[in-house]
Amino acid sequence: MDLLGHETTDVERELLRVYGDLKKLAGRDDVPPCVQRNVRKALACLWQVTNDLDLTFEQLRDLGV
Amino acid sequence: MNMDSPYWNPKNEKMPREELKALQLLKLRRMCEWAEAESDFHRRRFAQAKFKPEQLRSLDDLRRIPIMTRAEWMDCQAEKPLFGDLVTAPRENAIRYHLTSGTSGRQPLRVLDSMKDWEWIAEMWCYGFWGFGVRPQDTVFFAFSYGSFIGFWGAHYCCEKLGALVLPSGNMTTENRVKQIVEMEATTVCATPTYALRMAHTAREMGIDLPSSRVNKLIVSGEPAGSIPAVKRMLEQQWGAKCGDTAGMTEIGTIMIFECSHQPGGTHILEDNFIEEVVDPRTMEVKGYGEEGERIVTSFGRGFIPLLRYRTGDLVMRMPWNKCSCGRTFDWYEGGIRGRTDDMKAIRGTNVYPRAVESIVRECPEIDEFQIVLWRKDNVQDEITVKIEVKPGFEERTAELLPRLGKDLAAAHEGLRFNVECVAHGTLPRYELKAKRLKDEREYK
Repeated sequence: MDLLGHETTDVERELLRVYGDLKKLAGRDDVPPCVQRNVRKALACLWQVTNDLDLTFEQLRDLGV
Repeated sequence: MNMDSPYWNPKNEKMPREELKALQLLKLRRMCEWAEAESDFHRRRFAQAKFKPEQLRSLDDLRRIPIMTRAEWMDCQAEKPLFGDLVTAPRENAIRYHLTSGTSGRQPLRVLDSMKDWEWIAEMWCYGFWGFGVRPQDTVFFAFSYGSFIGFWGAHYCCEKLGALVLPSGNMTTENRVKQIVEMEATTVCATPTYALRMAHTAREMGIDLPSSRVNKLIVSGEPAGSIPAVKRMLEQQWGAKCGDTAGMTEIGTIMIFECSHQPGGTHILEDNFIEEVVDPRTMEVKGYGEEGERIVTSFGRGFIPLLRYRTGDLVMRMPWNKCSCGRTFDWYEGGIRGRTDDMKAIRGTNVYPRAVESIVRECPEIDEFQIVLWRKDNVQDEITVKIEVKPGFEERTAELLPRLGKDLAAAHEGLRFNVECVAHGTLPRYELKAKRLKDEREYK
């Protein structure tokens, strides 16, 4: 479901999965700088997509994003 | 992605109004919870107002949230330098630092943005640029100095995001900017309205015919003039391009309104990311559609700096979404930003707004530049003088122009007498960012 209670589409579910994966990766501190910084940048972009599509609305401060 | 879509985010831009309001309420509640938990500034003010985020059961409850002012923000920065206790994270979490432009002459505000917030800032511009017709095949020129003023920074990143070719002009001279626009076949030019007029003037001096260039879109921001019909007409004629207005503020980091390609005579509100209220600036009574008032903004984008019910001082007139033919369900502001509450000057009992003067001056095609000077005669009587520069080649019309302009200005201001003077061409100041055409020389003793 999206934030308004609508059934999510296939694409939206896939985006949510990728977003969740990036959050997990962004939380890891056992990766080199090139991984950590680029994952965080990618997460900021995915946050924007999920915000645009009303799938999530949250802050990512604790992940440094 | 469907590249034929006229909407950047069709899901929200065409969302039924009831759902849009439900989305706003949900985001509002979460933003207030975040602000209460993480911002000392908001926690203190919520407690003083006896407001709790769980009281937000409908959008009408928005009015329980205390109004936030620039003065409070400045005070908190003064008490806890550099950023005050409004911020929700340490500066180490930020990737950008910007300042307000200082147009109003007050202490500039300092703002910080996280990686996520900066992404959102560019995204808001994407709604506007896409909605006005900018596409990946466009070449976009930014007549912008890329300093600490946030200006077109977000628009620059928006264009990178949507895949356009970006031409940043930094500290180039006006002549070099014009040359590059032509040489690089820019299709879109971004500038303040004032500076876009200046570039057009410079191009003419250089013998360059801008209407025959590849530029077909001019996107302006930073001044109310972008929605003044006479200025827009001048810009469109002088550039041979469609002119679209946008408006934002450093306090929210980005634009909150944009003109769509249908050009309804105003600018759509990005209502999935902001709540905009329009109120009487004196009584705070809510104004309805078609009534002028001050906008109060609540932003959902910046987590670093939660902005809740912020008084902007901008004067607007809200119109319903269905008065524009573009299909968006976002309401819009007729005439964009119509002026500022603190712009208004009282001259011998008559209210004068610089924007209203500009809209009349710009109806005269002979005028190149102008300045409004307020002064006091014999230390008693307030006077208003409009100084004008006549375009080269139009000098013989000056004798007829001066009384005509004075009459038109008086007619629009309850008969108030305007002094109109012609000054030598090139003597009035020219501007790159926000123009300051009003000079108040009155002394208050």
